[in-house]
Amino acid sequence: MKKKEKDYSRREFIHRGARITLGLTVAGTGVLALARSGPGKETVWQIDPFKCTQCGRCADECVMSPSAVKCIHAYDLCGYCDLCSGYFLPGAKLETGAENQLCPTSAIRRQFIEEPYFEYVIDEELCIGCGKCVKGCAAFGNGSLHLQIRHDRCLNCNQCAIATVCPSDAISRVPADTPYLIKGDFISMEEG
Amino acid sequence: MVTGVLVLAGIVSLGWWLATDPVAGLTTSEPGADNRGENAVPLADIDIGAYTETLGSLESRLEGTWPRFRGENFDNISRSEIPLIESFPAGGPKVMWSLEMGEGYAGAAIYRGAVYVLDYDEGMRADVLRCVSLTDGTEIWRRGYRISLKRNHGMSRTVPAVTEDYVLTIGPRAHVMCVRRETGEFLWGLDVEKEYETEIPMWYTGQCPLIDEGMAIIATGGKALVVALDLETGGVVWETPNEKDWKMSHSSLMPFEFGGVKMYVYSAFGGACGIAAGGDHAGEVLWETTAWNHQVVAPSPVCLPDGKIFLTAGYGAGSMVLQLSKRGDRFDVEVLQEYEPREGLACEQQTPLVFQGHLLGIMPKDAGPLRNELVCVHPDDFTKVVWSSGQTRRFGLGPYMIADNKLFIVDDDATLTIARPGTRRYVELDSYRVLEGQDSWGPLAIADGYLVMRDSKTMVCLDLAAERQ
Repeated sequence: MKKKEKDYSRREFIHRGARITLGLTVAGTGVLALARSGPGKETVWQIDPFKCTQCGRCADECVMSPSAVKCIHAYDLCGYCDLCSGYFLPGAKLETGAENQLCPTSAIRRQFIEEPYFEYVIDEELCIGCGKCVKGCAAFGNGSLHLQIRHDRCLNCNQCAIATVCPSDAISRVPADTPYLIKGDFISMEEG
Repeated sequence: MVTGVLVLAGIVSLGWWLATDPVAGLTTSEPGADNRGENAVPLADIDIGAYTETLGSLESRLEGTWPRFRGENFDNISRSEIPLIESFPAGGPKVMWSLEMGEGYAGAAIYRGAVYVLDYDEGMRADVLRCVSLTDGTEIWRRGYRISLKRNHGMSRTVPAVTEDYVLTIGPRAHVMCVRRETGEFLWGLDVEKEYETEIPMWYTGQCPLIDEGMAIIATGGKALVVALDLETGGVVWETPNEKDWKMSHSSLMPFEFGGVKMYVYSAFGGACGIAAGGDHAGEVLWETTAWNHQVVAPSPVCLPDGKIFLTAGYGAGSMVLQLSKRGDRFDVEVLQEYEPREGLACEQQTPLVFQGHLLGIMPKDAGPLRNELVCVHPDDFTKVVWSSGQTRRFGLGPYMIADNKLFIVDDDATLTIARPGTRRYVELDSYRVLEGQDSWGPLAIADGYLVMRDSKTMVCLDLAAERQ
């Protein structure tokens, strides 16, 4: 019996296989890239302020130095108090001297507005994300100070170095089109 | 050659080191950077008692009273024998009436079917003493004065003192007003801030006025520490000199009799003291200590029969136990215990209860694992927690009281909880969210089975009498 002749040569077979494999790879990569860049699909790391326990690790564990975690002030929740437990050390004189301030880098600026109100503004260049002010504010104030990952500084690592050590599991990925969890604007993801 | 290069490099390095200021880029944080005191407004003249309105009349057969802050015996325990419910009916307790209030925490006093509360009328911009029917909420009369206040964690936060003939109030900026109880007729007023150069505490006055033996007793701070005024005329009966320049706190004066001597115990900014309440030495300082000195003191002193005085405060202050003793005519005071909030009973805003010698109170947020839990501590050692409400039962800054051998506790969100007071364990009976608001911190008042409570903007009266359900 006569053996059926091949339609293409061995060389042509290898070429054709390589082209198909390459094509599939490119197409697959493209599809994956499109899928990841689609609207609302991209994610970034963020802190749920209702789960955060202000342990201080955000200042130390972030790959950025200083940390990409900064204190955020939700002004609509603030009482604008003279005695701000997020600004002053417990029992300190209510004066702006460094010895009275809770913040180790003087990153909170306090300004008298009118009797009896004082405004507190965060200087993000100085803030190291230690959360001491947040702890003080949460203990006796309205909780208007809270920590957030600032995305103009965050590298959005595949695995966030802070998230791996966060004792309250407060850091997770959120949609990139809603990258901040500002108090007053949302309820805890756990509750929601 | 090498030596020369090294020497030259050393000279250059030294010059650079001397010329460079390593802290040139730093700024110092110094006092005064906040411009405190700019735009200070001079005190306005307040025409105390000028505003009045008669809106109805009251005929009531009710006899029950809750005549002041912490009730008849200053212990927040009702002696009424009317049985109260121990669980809520489906749909919650019966609400007798609801009254819109200015934002704040002012609590009510109750006297024979009438409720008295010093509200802040935000529309009229006035401190207004409102007399309201206990059973239906009808307003009987109003008496007050116009004063422009800014929101500072609410405005109102005091409870009137009421007797058969008088109602005595103190407003957010320490304006004292005395009126006839039944009619609201204005008798006299006192601008404490002006007369005594008093520094009003942060977040306004929290001290509740005291009526005792026909006198209004007010801890003014400023030019006098405590003053006694004739209740009918407002004339000064005695003044306690304020030699140490102690300031007015949010704490209220607590009458206390020890060693056969009656005194008023005060936890001020600056220290704690006992002021003679009567006799030839009325108004004199019997004892004082500066060991207790904190910026914010809201709870009142808890005075125990054996001469122990429990002092507590928030913002990290913790607590202190004083031991009072008497030798001849002289009183001595020593510090028995002093500890941080996480080490024992401490309270930020409300004053603890005494139940069978034990102290009951809600722990502050900085109390570690016990934060916001209701705890009961041992009479001999207030750091020894006998029981707590547990990690799954935390409360807030709201009030708590005992009536008909039941604990009534209000959470921040106006959830009313009924529990069984005891010295062995926490036993919760029921709870129900009464109001939709927040910051339900105003002290409770109960009389004739009617409980008056509030959130920051609404006051309600609940019928808790078991026989009326």
